[in-house]
Amino acid sequence: MSATESSFPKARQKDLVVEELPDETLVYDLERDKAHCLNPTAAMVWNRCDGQTSVADMAALLEQELDLPADESLVWMALDRLGKARLLEEPVTLPGEAARYSRREIMRTLSRVAGLTLLLPAVSSITAPLAAMQASCIPRSTCKFVLVPPNCTGLPICEQPTKCCLTKNATQCTPKAC
Amino acid sequence: MRTDTAGLFERIPALLPPGSKPAATADVKRLYSVIEGGPGNRPGVRRYSMLYANTVRVSRALSLDEVLAILESDLALYVAERAPRRIFVHAGVVGWEGQAILIPGSTLSGKTSLVSALLRAGATYYSDEYAVLDERGRVHPFPRPLSIREKEGALSVKRAAVEFGARTGTKPIPVGLVAVTSYKEGARFRPRRLSEGRGILELLANTVPVRRRPKTALATLGRAVREVPILKGVRGEADDAAKALLERLSAHLGSASQVE
Repeated sequence: MSATESSFPKARQKDLVVEELPDETLVYDLERDKAHCLNPTAAMVWNRCDGQTSVADMAALLEQELDLPADESLVWMALDRLGKARLLEEPVTLPGEAARYSRREIMRTLSRVAGLTLLLPAVSSITAPLAAMQASCIPRSTCKFVLVPPNCTGLPICEQPTKCCLTKNATQCTPKAC
Repeated sequence: MRTDTAGLFERIPALLPPGSKPAATADVKRLYSVIEGGPGNRPGVRRYSMLYANTVRVSRALSLDEVLAILESDLALYVAERAPRRIFVHAGVVGWEGQAILIPGSTLSGKTSLVSALLRAGATYYSDEYAVLDERGRVHPFPRPLSIREKEGALSVKRAAVEFGARTGTKPIPVGLVAVTSYKEGARFRPRRLSEGRGILELLANTVPVRRRPKTALATLGRAVREVPILKGVRGEADDAAKALLERLSAHLGSASQVE
């Protein structure tokens, strides 16, 4: 995708569960079983990703709605993070000018306005746990069938509390010393 | 539940999740089979005790007690994942001034130690395993005896809340505070406050049916922690952290009532 096309980014809508909070937005990705928390800046940008609003327009909206500098690099930063979280239809390609902006440079810009560094676009993510990972312990026989290396479950083995369900190799978990 | 040893049924009620009652329907969703081991037909041979869930072998051990411990854990997890009107979060819970303190965390994160310390400090016992949330976000008691590992690597022992001088909660209560913490030797408990969204992510990471019912889980957690302080940080000794948490909740409730 060219930078011109990605100047009108579009938010992904399919297979997502969205929960709006007063200041943030939570998104659950049904396809990947990941949950994301968008801070106010990232949420505002994501909500405007309708394929018709340009990056420049979004920057203007940042100023209007969040009282942030109308800085396109801030929008590109948000789009970059939303893309990495797979919350856009297509990942964005940062134009040369935006790609040059580092997080530090944007913070320097924002720090001119006291307290605004907290509003840097942020997307926090977790992988939703398997139910089996919420047990107090895991039977030895079950550990061997956990097919999610490298993490396995890390739970203690019920029959041998000194051992935990850990990675044996690329495809198998096994009881090993905790 | 079925077994080849009649006397075994007497031990089953103690293994059922708190609040269990006879079903009104004969519809069986999960059939557990316990086969008791013991001496074999020939000298020097022992038979394993076994546990099956439907047709899947869940455990095989020489000790029947180990098999029953796995039955208890598996049954609780099954209910936690599939309860239709509740969201189960892997967390310790105590009550304080009519509000719940939730301590989400994985096994071995030190939940039970902190719950024990809170009980010694005067809190009411709700659970050391699961926070059971209804659709309004209130926490229901799940008061299994506390499962305490008295030394590293040992099987846990069961201790009733009353042994800590604590009462056990009987009614659902709203969440008053969430503490995301784990033990680190020598650490001073200086938690930072998380935003509501980040706090919900921490809870989601410990929510049993999140993959099965993500929409309900998100909505329920959102209701449960609205305007609730969510603290995160490592802790040292449990007694110090318990005292700090109770003070934080009391202060929050005091300031909340002043606003009202």
